[in-house]
Amino acid sequence: MTAGEHRAGRTAGEAIAITGLGAVSGYGAGTAALWKGLASGTSAIGPFSRFEHARFRTQFASEAGEPAATAGPARSSIADRFALAAAREALAQAGLPSQLDDLSCGIYFGSSTGGMFESESYFADLLGEPRRASRIGRLTAQQTCSPGETVARAHGVRGPVQTVASACASATLAMGNALAALRAGDIDVAIAGGSDSLCRLTYAGFNSLRAVDPKACRPFRAEREGMSIGEGAAVLVLESAASASARGARVLGWLVGAGASCDAHHMTAPDPQGAGIARAVEAALADASLSADDIDFVNVHGTGTPHNDAAEANMLRAVFGERLSTLPLTSSKGAIGHYLGAAGAIEAVATMLCFLHGAVHPTPGEGAVDPAMNLDLVIGRPRPVPGARFALSTNLAFGGTNAAIILGSGQT
Amino acid sequence: MRSVSAEVVVTGLGVLGAFGAGRRALLEGLRAGVPRLREVDRGAGFHRPGGARLAALADLSELGNLVPAALSRRMSPPARMAVAAMQLALRDAGLPEGTDHTSTGIVTGTAFGPAWVTEQLLRQILGQGPEQASPALFTESVASASAAQMAMMIRARGPNQTLTQREASDLLALGEAARWIRDGKAGRVLVGIVEESIPILHALLDRFQALARADRFGPERARPFDRHRNGFTAAEGAVVVVLESAAVAEARGAQPICRLLAHGAAFDPSASAHGWGNGAPPLARALRRFLDRNGVTPAGIDLIVSGASGSRLGDRLEALTLSAAWESRPLPPVVAPKGTTGEYGGGFLAAGLLAAAGERPGVTAGFGAVDPELGLAPWTGGELSPPRLTLLTALASGGAAAWTLVARPDRA
Amino acid sequence: MSAPAGAPATSEELAPRLKRLIVGTLRLEGLDPESIGDDQLLFGEGLGLDSIDALELVVAIEQEFAVAIPEGKVDHDVFHSVRTLALWLAERIALRDSQRETTAP
Repeated sequence: MTAGEHRAGRTAGEAIAITGLGAVSGYGAGTAALWKGLASGTSAIGPFSRFEHARFRTQFASEAGEPAATAGPARSSIADRFALAAAREALAQAGLPSQLDDLSCGIYFGSSTGGMFESESYFADLLGEPRRASRIGRLTAQQTCSPGETVARAHGVRGPVQTVASACASATLAMGNALAALRAGDIDVAIAGGSDSLCRLTYAGFNSLRAVDPKACRPFRAEREGMSIGEGAAVLVLESAASASARGARVLGWLVGAGASCDAHHMTAPDPQGAGIARAVEAALADASLSADDIDFVNVHGTGTPHNDAAEANMLRAVFGERLSTLPLTSSKGAIGHYLGAAGAIEAVATMLCFLHGAVHPTPGEGAVDPAMNLDLVIGRPRPVPGARFALSTNLAFGGTNAAIILGSGQT
Repeated sequence: MRSVSAEVVVTGLGVLGAFGAGRRALLEGLRAGVPRLREVDRGAGFHRPGGARLAALADLSELGNLVPAALSRRMSPPARMAVAAMQLALRDAGLPEGTDHTSTGIVTGTAFGPAWVTEQLLRQILGQGPEQASPALFTESVASASAAQMAMMIRARGPNQTLTQREASDLLALGEAARWIRDGKAGRVLVGIVEESIPILHALLDRFQALARADRFGPERARPFDRHRNGFTAAEGAVVVVLESAAVAEARGAQPICRLLAHGAAFDPSASAHGWGNGAPPLARALRRFLDRNGVTPAGIDLIVSGASGSRLGDRLEALTLSAAWESRPLPPVVAPKGTTGEYGGGFLAAGLLAAAGERPGVTAGFGAVDPELGLAPWTGGELSPPRLTLLTALASGGAAAWTLVARPDRA
Repeated sequence: MSAPAGAPATSEELAPRLKRLIVGTLRLEGLDPESIGDDQLLFGEGLGLDSIDALELVVAIEQEFAVAIPEGKVDHDVFHSVRTLALWLAERIALRDSQRETTAP
């Protein structure tokens, strides 16, 4: 089938194949390390050394550190290099060449701070008393679009390249954009994902909101106190079924639907009833031509903050009703913290790994699950989910932006 | 062929920038062909001697009327401008206060995000200590703050996202918004392009050699395509475009300003992190493929509104790309409004849509002598019929490229 | 910026300072600090502040009065009105000062 015929045969709502996965996380480089850590039930949240933090309100984070395949262009940021490592792994798994310029391939990335960590050294010099001369080169990778662009340049990408900067929903929204572009036939392959590194701006910022747990976050626990911040990157290679088949690529799973909405309620507090995220979920289900009954497990946003978890629990109840008490849920953030602009990507990869291993990973976190929520949070060890076909992944962001995607098992 | 009802039309345009508030003020400024520039405050000593001194700063005298202080007290400067431009756009579109925006979507595009807020936060965190970080400033520091404030102001609960891709942000945001309408995700989407200018940002752009400066060939000004061009003029402001499906617009009796036919995007991996590469031939192929897919030949384009800004390498790449795409045949009239509007803040987008709507464009301010390497002479006035089909172009530093085909409002 | 140690601070004296701090920190343009009632609700229907405003006030109060506000959520009972805030702040200042006296050589 030629590219032209691929496009002509596509219909709205078509499922898109996932043929490659890549990740860098607090458990190390690669998806194997990620799954091993997620399955262990022990979080990767603890003391960190990316920057001096004695004066900060809290002292824990999930630090990824320099990944093994860390080579990056001069003056690249660590967020850039996380992205490169994840992209390299995903492309290799997908069996795609390292140089993609012969393919109709686009990049859809999410990030919140790009290379801000490296830029902070420059700004500390520039804005400090007394002002110190500093090297402008430190700002080279500062932009939020830098990780996605760095991957594009490294792999000779010639298709559309875009970065979504919608805070915590960025990567999920980027995947929704990739899904739409693939269905429309604008591109044959999409490299979708996200990358963010720890930096003082976000670490101090979330602390100023008193939104950070002093230890490791405890999603959906009765005694939860706040989020934990993490860093890393994740990439998924997406392509049409026809494209995957023509290449003889192994289909790991499917991206079957995406939905988005806005609470229009408050800059940081979500709609307490979760009405906004519920609409995003309903939109994703409609986009996938599925109903809530088709969902076999959920990777929740689950930051561990009192308000966010409560709002999300309300949404889950509204959407799933009675089923909620027996629907396995997990929050990857309990394991690796909140990746901000990249959260949606690492959580999508985690969800895919759950399908591939036939089990939902547990949510680490101290204390009993909040009994008022009456939900089935997977804790302790992975929960086998034989025959699971579809999973929902949700993200709620600052400013009330909500995003949801639905992933399908490769067995579907 | 796509059905008429899914066609995307522009029904309102709100502009806030150097020429003040409203699209009429911008149009008059464009026709006069004289940029409205002001001295940037160099008192803090960030600027290098002999560098750029001017910017197209926004005239905010109408801001208080458009966004009351009581509502805007916590908004960042870009959010305030975006909300003000939104009020103008909704008025322009004939959508009064009280309109139900439950399903209205919002896409915003910005290159640098809330710069002043970020600077203050960095001063607090890096200069005084992390405990001094202001929670209100942090929540406003996300690039998506403008999109959130716009949504809250009118209770827009449809999909909501922010794209950041440097100088291609405007056309990419427009493209995603138009796709939502075509795919039935929203019947109405507001596209907001916003940028603010602060001294430190201006000084840093200058240190990256991006800005026009005075030299032996003349005073400081942007000279798109000119032989002696040496950089662009940074601008600040906000533009909001109201997009609707043709069906929604017709149902409420709204007169389209112009019709958005198609959106394309590509990437030049030979670009450096802050510059432009030499990938004109592949970009030209991508542009031709975009035109082909939409049943358009180069001969069918009546006007090109180019994103050329006065950048030495950017304008070069643009000219060579167009020349290659047209296979060295004569181009239609080309205008580059950034000679008047400056780069960023949406002025280019507004100018392009107005020209496509049939408003006589201004000549390319700052252009004097053809650059022999480029061989491109922009339109310098004279006979020009209202275009049936207009091509908007944007080649961003860092490698992203975007194009938009806009048709005149009537279908004759 | 910080209040001198040992200066006695009654809640009556603190109330007007808090009102000015509220207007200044939260950029409530055009609002006369004196027009804020001692018992006027700060949140919701009263002055209309929200959770972020409360956090901003915490930072400002810590700086202005050199007291540390304990970890944990901003207490809605304390931030109920200027009166309750001033009473609480007077206690915190007295506690701080007595701690300084006991640790002074």
